[in-house]
Amino acid sequence: MSAHLSTPAAVAVPRPDVLAAERRMMLAFLVVGFSALLLGAGIGPLQALNYSGHNLYPALRPFFQSYYQGLTIHGVMNGYVFTFFVICGLLVYLPARELGITPNMTLWRGSFVIMLIGTGLVLAAMFDNSSNVLWTFYPPLKGSPLFYFGLTALGLGSTLPLPILLQMRSAWKKQRPGEVTPLVTYMALITMLMWDVSTIGIMTELVIQMDPWSLGLIHTVDPAISRTLYWLTGHPIVYFWLMPAYVSWYGLLANQLGGRLASDAMGRLTFVLMLIFSLPVGSHHQFADPGFSPIWRGILVVLTMSVAFPSLITAFTMGLTLEFAGRKRGGKGILGWFKALPWGNPSVAAQVLSMLTFVIGGASGMVNGSWQLDAVVHNTTFIPGHFHMTVGSVVAMTFMGMAFWLIPHLTGRALISRRLALAAAWLWFIGMSTFGIGMQTAGLYGVPRRAWVSALPHEAFHTLYGAAHIPMALIGIGGVILWLAMICFYIVFFGSLLFGRKIEAPAIPFARAFGRSESYSLERPAVPSEHTSSLARAMEPVWFWTGVATLICALSYVPIFWSFLRHMTLSPGWVAW
Amino acid sequence: MSDLSSMTPSERRFYEAGERQERIWVFIVLILLTVLTIIAMLYVVIDYNLVTKSGGQTPVIGQMTTDQAQPEGVAVETGPNAYTVSLVARMWRWAPGPIHVKQGAKITFRVTSADVLHGFEVQGTDINLTAVPGEIGLVSHVFRKPGTYYIICNEYCGLMHHAMASPIIVDPARPEAEAAQ
Ligand SMILES: [Cu+2]
Repeated sequence: MSAHLSTPAAVAVPRPDVLAAERRMMLAFLVVGFSALLLGAGIGPLQALNYSGHNLYPALRPFFQSYYQGLTIHGVMNGYVFTFFVICGLLVYLPARELGITPNMTLWRGSFVIMLIGTGLVLAAMFDNSSNVLWTFYPPLKGSPLFYFGLTALGLGSTLPLPILLQMRSAWKKQRPGEVTPLVTYMALITMLMWDVSTIGIMTELVIQMDPWSLGLIHTVDPAISRTLYWLTGHPIVYFWLMPAYVSWYGLLANQLGGRLASDAMGRLTFVLMLIFSLPVGSHHQFADPGFSPIWRGILVVLTMSVAFPSLITAFTMGLTLEFAGRKRGGKGILGWFKALPWGNPSVAAQVLSMLTFVIGGASGMVNGSWQLDAVVHNTTFIPGHFHMTVGSVVAMTFMGMAFWLIPHLTGRALISRRLALAAAWLWFIGMSTFGIGMQTAGLYGVPRRAWVSALPHEAFHTLYGAAHIPMALIGIGGVILWLAMICFYIVFFGSLLFGRKIEAPAIPFARAFGRSESYSLERPAVPSEHTSSLARAMEPVWFWTGVATLICALSYVPIFWSFLRHMTLSPGWVAW
Repeated sequence: MSDLSSMTPSERRFYEAGERQERIWVFIVLILLTVLTIIAMLYVVIDYNLVTKSGGQTPVIGQMTTDQAQPEGVAVETGPNAYTVSLVARMWRWAPGPIHVKQGAKITFRVTSADVLHGFEVQGTDINLTAVPGEIGLVSHVFRKPGTYYIICNEYCGLMHHAMASPIIVDPARPEAEAAQ
């Protein structure tokens, strides 16, 4: 490093026993999260086979009463439990190690315990067949109180990483006055700020409406208001899943590739844009609802299109990062650099493959986002096709890829089989692509999502959906391939935890960026702020950007709630299964 | 700062080219999104009442279920070549029987629900409207081709959600009416 830089301010490296406690906690989040995925994604292919006309649910009677019960478990376990645990672990652990500061362990454990209790409650409510309300739980369908209180606990626990991050950042800032927050911590912080603001929607719905309603304290709820509150959180939740995957792509992947991140400042800009654009657009999920004015829909189209902006920046930055690493490894020509990437590393393979599916998934997102096109595909299998190609591949595969280095890092045990881990990544990629293309195509034939079509009499199934039999067959095939992927993955996951060969634990692969600021801080010399990019400095006042995002979000929701509150339509609850 | 000096010449070339291209890319993306947005908005404005089906309406509380003047699932003539069909979705049916409508006529569906949410989707068209209890949604469509269409419920509504499908039979317009057009 250059001589004229000041030596780093003394960072007290945490004691080994404290570090061990942090690793154990992270491991607990990881294991609970991936166990939830084992259950949730394990049921997934049953849903896929439903669309290819194979009804396996009657054979599972003692455990599952219906497709809808299975689908509820699938959505809740994957969408809330798996993601929340992995994210709330990572977004505390990675910044703590990046900054070299011990997190507030009480709060972190609190987050874990509260979410674990919540998981227990929702599992009880789902397995006793009392709450087949699907993961969106739209009233007036009414589940058991355990379900709503469980979700309330999960939601509450998931907000707690924010105060931990704020504490660590301010402690770091005291040691390094005038410096911008290191990249991974910055991204984690923006993600949590976005999430904690957005949970206002679902927490209000749960606490004011669903919890008292399920207990019988109030007798009716307004379904339109519930839906709007739900989607106030339900759209940003996609970003809450996605942004931690981006943390890995921006903050770690370049190192795993043996290269450098193309731009640190662009990563920061991407996150701030996602913070601003993800919050106000939730009601685009309600394009088909009555009560939304056409002008309002037009505004939403604009805002929704804007969400593509950060994704397109990411596409460029990641492309450049991959190209640099590939060329450094000797890749030549237009695509040679892509082949030259370290494909033998399962963690890299899983993440780079997930980027490929994201290109297709992101493009189809532009379809749902525009109102006229949405009218064709709304609530058809096109929609789950879209989010399985984005969340189901990008997020799931990136987290799997992270697990491949996290397990050796946290436990000091090597993966039991690199080949099986690679097979898991490729099979997941092939399975999810087959499934997603099948779902999106079937959606164009008007096949509805969330429907137990395989339980229809053969004649009716053929009349309604016969035209879509090829894409529907693809859905089933994709599901079966995903089962194979899961078998490979979980042999590696649990096998390595229990029987992995003892090795020296590898370090966290924090990446270095091109340009003026590097992305890790522990052994980094202090970088005076005049030497950091002006874009990175402009992104640094996180409370300002959160304020802007919250204001836009409030402005976009006030007119909606204003009209709904003046025309309340209250409904009693229905148990319909 | 620290990094610029520690880069090899080839790394530096890559970095500087990348930075230049990044600026160009951001510019292209901004133009692209602006154009896309303008097209989408124009489409919204021009098509206002033509292509757009799920025209919203301020919620009207309970009007439909008590309004006996509107029979369920029957096309009622409301103007020249214009008909209204009122539907009250219930677990798990749309209408008492098949709905007959006329080819080439403007059909306005008034849709509400008597219990939970349902999704009013007509397969093979872009009709897509959520049926919300206590609210009436309006959606208009001109069926250009005669034949049997299916209303399929696409919002989960309980155990028999998948079985909630009803036919719409589009009767061919009379040949003399076609000639007159
Ligand atoms: Cu229904």
